[in-house]
Amino acid sequence: MRRRVWGWALVLLLAVGMLPAQAQESITLVVWDNFTRDAEQAMIEELHAQFEAANPGVKIQRESYDTSDLTALLPRALSEPNGPDVAMINQGFSSMGALVKAGLLLPLNAYADQYGWWERYGQSLHERNSFSADGTVFAGENLYGVSNTAEVVGVYYHKALFEELGLSVPTTWDEFEALVKTIIEAGRTPIVFGSLDGWPAIHTYGAIEHAFSQPEEIDRFIYRSEGGTFNTPGNLIAAQKFVEWIDAGAFSPGFEGMDYDNATLSAFLNQEGVMWITGSWMTGTLIEQLGGEDAVGFFLVPSAVGLETPYAIGGVGLGYGIRATSQHADLAAAYIDLMTGPDAAAKLFENGFLPAVAVDASLLTEGTLTAEVVEAWNTISAGDTVGHYLDWTMPDIAADIQELMAKVVTPEQFIANVEADYTAGR
Amino acid sequence: MTGGTEAGLKPASSTLGTRLAARLRGGGRPFARPYQAYLFLLPGLAVYVVFVLIPIFGTFRYSFFDWTGFSPPTFIGLANYVELTRDADFWKAIGNNAFFVIFYTLIPILLGLFLTSLMTRGRLRGLVIFRTGLFLPQVMSPVVVGIIWRWLFALDGPINELLRAVGLAAWARPWLGDFTFAPYAVGVVGSWVQYGLCMVLFIAGAQSIDEELYDAARVFGANAWQQFRHVTLPGLRQQILVAFVLTFIAALRVFDLVFVLTRSGGPGKQTLVTSILVYQQTFNRNRAGYGAAIAVVMTLIIVLVSVVVLRLQARDEARDAAITV
Repeated sequence: MRRRVWGWALVLLLAVGMLPAQAQESITLVVWDNFTRDAEQAMIEELHAQFEAANPGVKIQRESYDTSDLTALLPRALSEPNGPDVAMINQGFSSMGALVKAGLLLPLNAYADQYGWWERYGQSLHERNSFSADGTVFAGENLYGVSNTAEVVGVYYHKALFEELGLSVPTTWDEFEALVKTIIEAGRTPIVFGSLDGWPAIHTYGAIEHAFSQPEEIDRFIYRSEGGTFNTPGNLIAAQKFVEWIDAGAFSPGFEGMDYDNATLSAFLNQEGVMWITGSWMTGTLIEQLGGEDAVGFFLVPSAVGLETPYAIGGVGLGYGIRATSQHADLAAAYIDLMTGPDAAAKLFENGFLPAVAVDASLLTEGTLTAEVVEAWNTISAGDTVGHYLDWTMPDIAADIQELMAKVVTPEQFIANVEADYTAGR
Repeated sequence: MTGGTEAGLKPASSTLGTRLAARLRGGGRPFARPYQAYLFLLPGLAVYVVFVLIPIFGTFRYSFFDWTGFSPPTFIGLANYVELTRDADFWKAIGNNAFFVIFYTLIPILLGLFLTSLMTRGRLRGLVIFRTGLFLPQVMSPVVVGIIWRWLFALDGPINELLRAVGLAAWARPWLGDFTFAPYAVGVVGSWVQYGLCMVLFIAGAQSIDEELYDAARVFGANAWQQFRHVTLPGLRQQILVAFVLTFIAALRVFDLVFVLTRSGGPGKQTLVTSILVYQQTFNRNRAGYGAAIAVVMTLIIVLVSVVVLRLQARDEARDAAITV
C-alpha cells in the first residue's frame, strides 16, 4: 500500500516537473564569475533574480572561481560547445590575449555601442579589455570585456600615528620622501612590506616606479607597443630609490620573510609600521579588523615628475566577456549590461567593492576610509592616470625585484635583466 | 634475504589462504586457460592506460609542438628541446633539484639508518609511539607540512624565537626570504618529510636480519658500531636502494612543498625547481609544449636513475642467490 502511494507521488512529481518545460522554451545562461566570498553571494543572487524577472524563461547557472583557477580553467571551458556563455576574463597577454588568439571570445564593440558601455568609464580603461582581432596587439581595436570593479594601489596610513609624529598627508614626492625620513628618525618603521609571496614587491616597487614615470612610458611597455622599453630614466631612479629606502630602513625589518596575508597584514594592524603601500582591495578587511572607518586613511603616492594628478597602479577588475560560440550572445550582452551598470555598482559599493563606474557622491561620507579610497580612484580615473601591474607583461618580474632587493644585482643590472627578458619576448 | 621471503608467506593459515599461497607458489593448475589470468588484470590495466600511459604519451607528443594548451598546436620538431639547452632558468632549476637531492635523499637515508640502529638495539619502551610519531611527517599532506613550516620559519616564528631566547639573536633571519638560506630552509623541510619513509623501510628490513648473525658478531667481540657496520648495513642493502629510488624521485619532482613555502621558487630563483617551471610555463605563460618538454627531460632522468639502481639491485639478488645455493 505504502509503496503504491510513493509510486503515484513520483509520477505526479515527474508530471509537474515536465509542465513548465513544455509550456515555454527555457534558456540556461551559463556564467563563470569571480565572486567567491560568502558575503558576495547575496548581492549576485539579487542581481540574478532581477535579470531572470526581466527575461522570463531564462535561468542563470553560475559557477564561481578565484582568479588563478579562473585563468587556468577558462581556456578549456571556453573551447567547449556548452561552456560558459559569460565569463570573467583576466586582462593581459597570457589571459585575454591568448583567448582572443585562440578565437574563443566574441568582440563586444557592437554591444558597447548599443548599450553605451563606452561611457561607463574612460577610454584608457577600455583599452585594458581590448585586443586586436588576432590577439597580438594589446589595447587593440576590439573590446572583449566590460568590468564592474576597480582597483587602485596607494598608501594606507594610521591616522593616530600621523598625529603622534606630527605628520600630514603629502602632496608632492619631496614631502612624501621627507615624511619617510621623519618616521625613520622617530625610530619607527615607515612602511610595512613583505616580499615572501613575490607579487607584493611588484606593488611596492611599482608604486615608486609610477611616481617617477610618465603614463605613456609604462603604457608602451605594458602594451608592448612601438618604443616600449623598461630602460627608462624613471625606472632606474625608482630602482635606486627602492634600494636606498631598503638600506635606510624604510620597510619592515625582515620583509624578505614576511607573507602578505598574515605577517604584513598583522604588522600593519599592530601599528608596527605607519603606512602600507597596497591595493584598495584591503579596505574592507582593514575596516573590519580595526572596527571602523576612522583609524586608517588613504592617499596616492604623489608624482615625482610633475604630473597634475598622481600616476598610480590600478585598473578595472576582471571584465565580463562572451564565448565566441555562445548561442545566446544577445542575452549574454543584456546580462553584462546589468552586471556592469549603475544598479550593480550601488550593490558592489554596499558590499565594500570599489565600483568601476563613479559612485554617486551622496553615498560617500566625508573623511571615511571608504570615501578616501573612492575619491582616489575617481581622481586617477578622471585624470586618466591609471597605471599598470608590471607582471601583466613580465610574469616573472617579482623574481627580478627580489634579486634587486637582496642586492644580488645592482639597479643597473636589474633594468638590463628585465629589458633582456622583455626584448626576448619572455 | 631468502629466509625473509619465506616468513612473509607463512601467515596464510586459513585453508583459503593456504590454497591461495600454494597457487601463488605455482602448485597445482591455477587456471584452466592461461589467458583467464589476464582478464583479472584488465580493470587495473585500463585505469593505468587511461590515467598514466595516455597522458605520458600525450606529454611526450606535445613536447614537439608549439601549443598554448588550448589553441591548435603547431609542430616545431625539436625546437622546444633546443630552447631548453639555452634556458638559464631551466639549468638553474635543475641545479636546485640536484641540491635538493642532498636533503631529500642523502640526509633522510643517513637519519633513517641512525634511528633504525637506535630502535632495533634491545627493547625500547613505547617503541610504537616513537615509530608512529617519527613516521607522521611522511603521511601528512605536503600542503599542511608547508603551512606548518612557513609558520615555524616566520620572522617571529618559533625557530627565530628560540634562537633569540638562547642568545643567538644575530642568527635569526627571514629564513624563507633569505637569498642564501632559503634553499637550505626548503631542503630541511624535505628531509623532515622523507626520513620517516626511510626509517620504516629500514626497521622492516632490520627485522628480517637473522638474529644469529648478531649473536655470532658478539661472540667475535664486535661492538655496537661494528655490528651495525658489518651486520645491519649489509642486511639493509636492498632497502637502502629502494629508499634511494623513492626519495630521489621525490627530490626531482618536488612541487607542492616549494609552491607553499616560497610560492614561485623565490627569493629570485633560489628555490625554483623544474616542476614549478613546468607549471609556470604551462599555466602562466600558456606554453604547454615547452612545459611538456621540461617534463619529458625530467621523466627521462628519473627513468634512467631508476633503471641503473634496479640493475644494481638485480645483480645483488643474483649474487645473494648464488651464495645461498
